Amino acid sequence: MRILLVEDDPDLSRQLKLALGDAGYAVDHAADGEEAQFLGETEPYDAVVLDLGLPKVDGVSVLERWRRGNVATPVLILTARGSWNEKVAGFDAGADDYLTKPFHTEELLARLRALLRRSSGHASPTLSCGGLRLDPRAARASVNGEPLRLTSLEYRLLHYMMMHQGRVIGRTELVEHLYDQDFDRDSNTIEVFIGRLRKKLGSDRIETVRGLGYRLTPLEGETSE
Amino acid sequence: MWDLSKRSLVRRLVLLAAAWNLVVLVLAGVFLTAQFRDAAIRRFDQSLAVLTDDLYAGSTVDDGVLKAPVLTDIRATRAYSGRYWTIFDQPAGGGGLNVIERSRSLFDSDLTIPVEQSERLMAEPGKTLYFDLKGPQNRPLRAAALLARLPGYPRPVVFIAAEDRSPIDADADRFGRITTFALVILGGGLIAAVVVQVRVGLVPLFRLRREVASVRRGKAEKLEGNYPEELAPLAVELNALLSHNQEVVERQRTHVGNLAHALKTPLSVMLTEAGQRPGALAEVVERQAQTMREQVDHHLRRARAAARSQTSGERTPVEPIMDELAVTLERIFQDKGVQIDWRCPDDLCFQGERQDFMELAGNVMENAGKWCKGKVRAEAVASSPEQMTLTVDDDGPGLPPDRWIDALKRGQRMDEHTPGSGLGLSIVDELARAYGGSVTLGASPLGGLRVTLVLPRSEG
Repeated sequence: MRILLVEDDPDLSRQLKLALGDAGYAVDHAADGEEAQFLGETEPYDAVVLDLGLPKVDGVSVLERWRRGNVATPVLILTARGSWNEKVAGFDAGADDYLTKPFHTEELLARLRALLRRSSGHASPTLSCGGLRLDPRAARASVNGEPLRLTSLEYRLLHYMMMHQGRVIGRTELVEHLYDQDFDRDSNTIEVFIGRLRKKLGSDRIETVRGLGYRLTPLEGETSE
Repeated sequence: MWDLSKRSLVRRLVLLAAAWNLVVLVLAGVFLTAQFRDAAIRRFDQSLAVLTDDLYAGSTVDDGVLKAPVLTDIRATRAYSGRYWTIFDQPAGGGGLNVIERSRSLFDSDLTIPVEQSERLMAEPGKTLYFDLKGPQNRPLRAAALLARLPGYPRPVVFIAAEDRSPIDADADRFGRITTFALVILGGGLIAAVVVQVRVGLVPLFRLRREVASVRRGKAEKLEGNYPEELAPLAVELNALLSHNQEVVERQRTHVGNLAHALKTPLSVMLTEAGQRPGALAEVVERQAQTMREQVDHHLRRARAAARSQTSGERTPVEPIMDELAVTLERIFQDKGVQIDWRCPDDLCFQGERQDFMELAGNVMENAGKWCKGKVRAEAVASSPEQMTLTVDDDGPGLPPDRWIDALKRGQRMDEHTPGSGLGLSIVDELARAYGGSVTLGASPLGGLRVTLVLPRSEG
């Protein structure tokens, strides 16, 4: 397993390199954003440990550039500030997990193990509907290559609709697949979630069929694979 | 007398204008009435002078006896008609004047010239003098008198014509009343005009006040109205002050953030180093490093909360933040498979900064995510025009009611394995208080803890 460690503090870098090496990983180290970006784009790492406060180019920008350049390596970010604003920005940029400084090395190692485990699943068929794509293994979806940010309930709803694309699906059916039996539901739940999905997918992918339910179809001009 | 500077500007301007109007109008009234009276008296005097001239010109001396002319004026013949004349002569030895002839209207009374007037007559012979005197029946009279010498008459002769002056007094009084009435109406009109003028003139000031109020309540970020040139600089200054405040707050926040960042990496190093060399020293280092971390976090929040009271209100739409937090938290807890079901009206706005709402909602939802068995429900609603409520439920173990209050307190070193412990909820409590809101813990219908956050809402 090959890990890229991006950290500018020499002491912390030394310690982490040692700890990661002891845990059996091969570690490359980058001390600034530019070097990190270059290494991440050219070397096939299994995971990256990325500090956000970096010289030259900050960590969030590095991450965004990787993701734009289709570098899908799982990334664990280290942040000193730990405000929600930063966490959200980190995840938005494409992080897979975060750790707030100061932290215990054991915790970093545990998180890294979980990250590698998650990313090592076997490829499973992706669902698609026009420009819409859904990867059930990674539980990720995208529209025309742009990743969608979905909550698990939204994802569940979209997944069900993609499995039954082209068919009109009634509200009751959708609610039943959205929630477990024991969950109480109010009548406009489905409207709320359809509304959110439309906001994220574009409003015309989900069609309302009056009195019957909803239908997911490819846009005109798009071909369903 | 009240201090004008503390009273309303409108009242102050109106009172000043009213006082000034009063002075000017009273002076004008007095002056006009006096002028009218003077003019009336002058005209009156002229007709009297004509009569004295007639008496003087028409008198004849026959053998040392003075004869008054026959005057046709009917008023001088009817008794007490109000118009009188008398001719005196002055005895050689001085003393009182002798009546030689008098108008029939005087009937059996005499006109008496006051002593000082007769002395003036002596001093200025040939000149017609005018004065007031008392006539028959004690009526006030106006008189014209002339001392002259007649050819063939040995002594100086005084011709005096007098007339009841009450008609001119009545006229002058009437004029005074009319003038007063007219001036009172004028004054009232002027004050009304001033009130209208001041109210209309101050409209931009009231608008400025409303705008400042809406900035404070977070409905606007700065003053945007067009103001007249006297107020425009004030609006510009206020905007500059607002942005300066914001800058100061930003700078403060950045400084504190930098400090925290600068301290946390060394703390990480210390923790790691200590972790690698177990022993008594390592334990101390670890404990102290934890304390330092908490201190840094605490002061970071204090600085933010202190900065809060100075910032102008901002409005933050809640819905997108709930979405971002839900997506992020599900990622953070993805190993556990946490499902966050959230509801929020599209138009709900928190009155305050985005970062702070994220911190508030993020910590509450993270706490729920940490302790839940898999389900978290979050619902934001507008509870009143001024307030919004965020309720976060989880299906975890919950907290016994006697811990609900303690869990929000900082410094209460609680069992790390208890929901609501740790720093998360005390941060929320401090921040919510800084916003004048509140956090309460309770039992959730899902079985776990319910955290209810009440926060200021921005309507709009």
